[in-house]
Amino acid sequence: MISAIKRYAFRKFKESEVKLHELNYLFWECTTRCNLNCLHCGSDCAKDSAFSDMPIDDFLKAIDTIETNSQNFTVVFTGGEPLMRSDIELCGRELRKRGLKWAIVSNGHLYDEKRHISLLNSGLGALTISLDGLEYSHNWLRNNDFSFKKVIAAIELAATSNRLNFDVVTCVNQQNIDELVQIKDLLVSKNVKAWRLFTIIPIGRAVDNSLLSLSDFQFVSLMEFISEQRKQKEIDIKFSCEGFVGNYEPLVRDSYFFCRAGINIGSVLIDGAISACPNIDRDFSQGNIYTDNFFDIWQHKFQPFRNREWTKKGQCKSCKDFKDCQGNGFHNWHGDKKNVLVCHKEK
Amino acid sequence: MKQKWIRRIIGGLSFTSALFIFQACYGTPQDFGQDLLIEGQVKSKSTGLPINGIKVSVVDNEQYEITNEEGKFSFYSEMLEDIVLSFQDVDSISNGLYMTKDTMLNYTDSKVYVDIVLEEMK
Repeated sequence: MISAIKRYAFRKFKESEVKLHELNYLFWECTTRCNLNCLHCGSDCAKDSAFSDMPIDDFLKAIDTIETNSQNFTVVFTGGEPLMRSDIELCGRELRKRGLKWAIVSNGHLYDEKRHISLLNSGLGALTISLDGLEYSHNWLRNNDFSFKKVIAAIELAATSNRLNFDVVTCVNQQNIDELVQIKDLLVSKNVKAWRLFTIIPIGRAVDNSLLSLSDFQFVSLMEFISEQRKQKEIDIKFSCEGFVGNYEPLVRDSYFFCRAGINIGSVLIDGAISACPNIDRDFSQGNIYTDNFFDIWQHKFQPFRNREWTKKGQCKSCKDFKDCQGNGFHNWHGDKKNVLVCHKEK
Repeated sequence: MKQKWIRRIIGGLSFTSALFIFQACYGTPQDFGQDLLIEGQVKSKSTGLPINGIKVSVVDNEQYEITNEEGKFSFYSEMLEDIVLSFQDVDSISNGLYMTKDTMLNYTDSKVYVDIVLEEMK
């Protein structure tokens, strides 16, 4: 009974969030250059040498169209690998001058002590670093023999800062699913406070590599692992917001599933396209900062993101959980969009 | 405004924590931290001129910045109850040699400006 009330209230909460569609979180795909050549490239971020880095001034012009900043509005620099740019500190300082906070998602390769200090000096407030397993499995996914050592050094540095809101993310796959306890122990030993796990969606290079996807049994064991570890409270562990997980929904995160793409999360992509999370099919772009007013687009477009009824097709058409799931994470609609790419709940 | 109150009430009824704290699947956590913008200028006591190459650091913290040609520095640091800044000449005798000086910051805002005068070593 209480559970039903909570779920009903959460649905109403989501409806009110959609009506408000307050921009809290903005990705900036500041570069598509990368210093790694990961096996899952193109799944959650992409490497593409066809594009030049976007000039800071172009991005700031888009930022300056925002009329009302929500409290704790954060700009998240992503890529490619954002640390390939030597001027992100400059952009960070410009954002702070405007009263905005900023953060970086990084593979950790270039995150040395000098860069750590220079980023903190420029007002960096949050950081996510990817660690995808113990040494062999991490280097396998990252396709680089030295990546593990570098990322561990980066994690050690980041964990020394009380200022940074820092977490580690891990793409769970066939190579590292049996190492999760050891990875957790490693992170705890490095003083990491927060760990987020996600799976690899079958897009980009991940389509053709069966080792990157979990079997249904492995996915369930991942949910069991997260829910069990959350009880232990050694580390703030959670499943990412990538999808609706049915009965595990209250157990693997702090809150029920809510894909906020286009509701609270926007992006400026490498070519100036305006969208939500960078891993969303680029056909969903709503405008371009070089031809449109960014904030005007945010306020008045984004209809496919704010009304998800169109996802009621394919296996979602007759699903009894549609009200809570609403077509799963938006990034699960790629290509012909006739069906959701992944249904986590059915695993 | 009314919509925001409705949001708070309904959100509270669902009894889930972190309703207004979220992160995108592949993004970072949101930043709810507080920091302090520390800016200022370092000058020579004897000449009154700006000094470059002075290391400005927060005591008991890894962060530092080196003053520029105008003797200026600017960096963000974790907001603590007591912050002691240390000014240290680290470029040897290239533009004079100055004595190290520590100073406790007094601040009430999220930024503070510090003018520092360093004495030359005899």
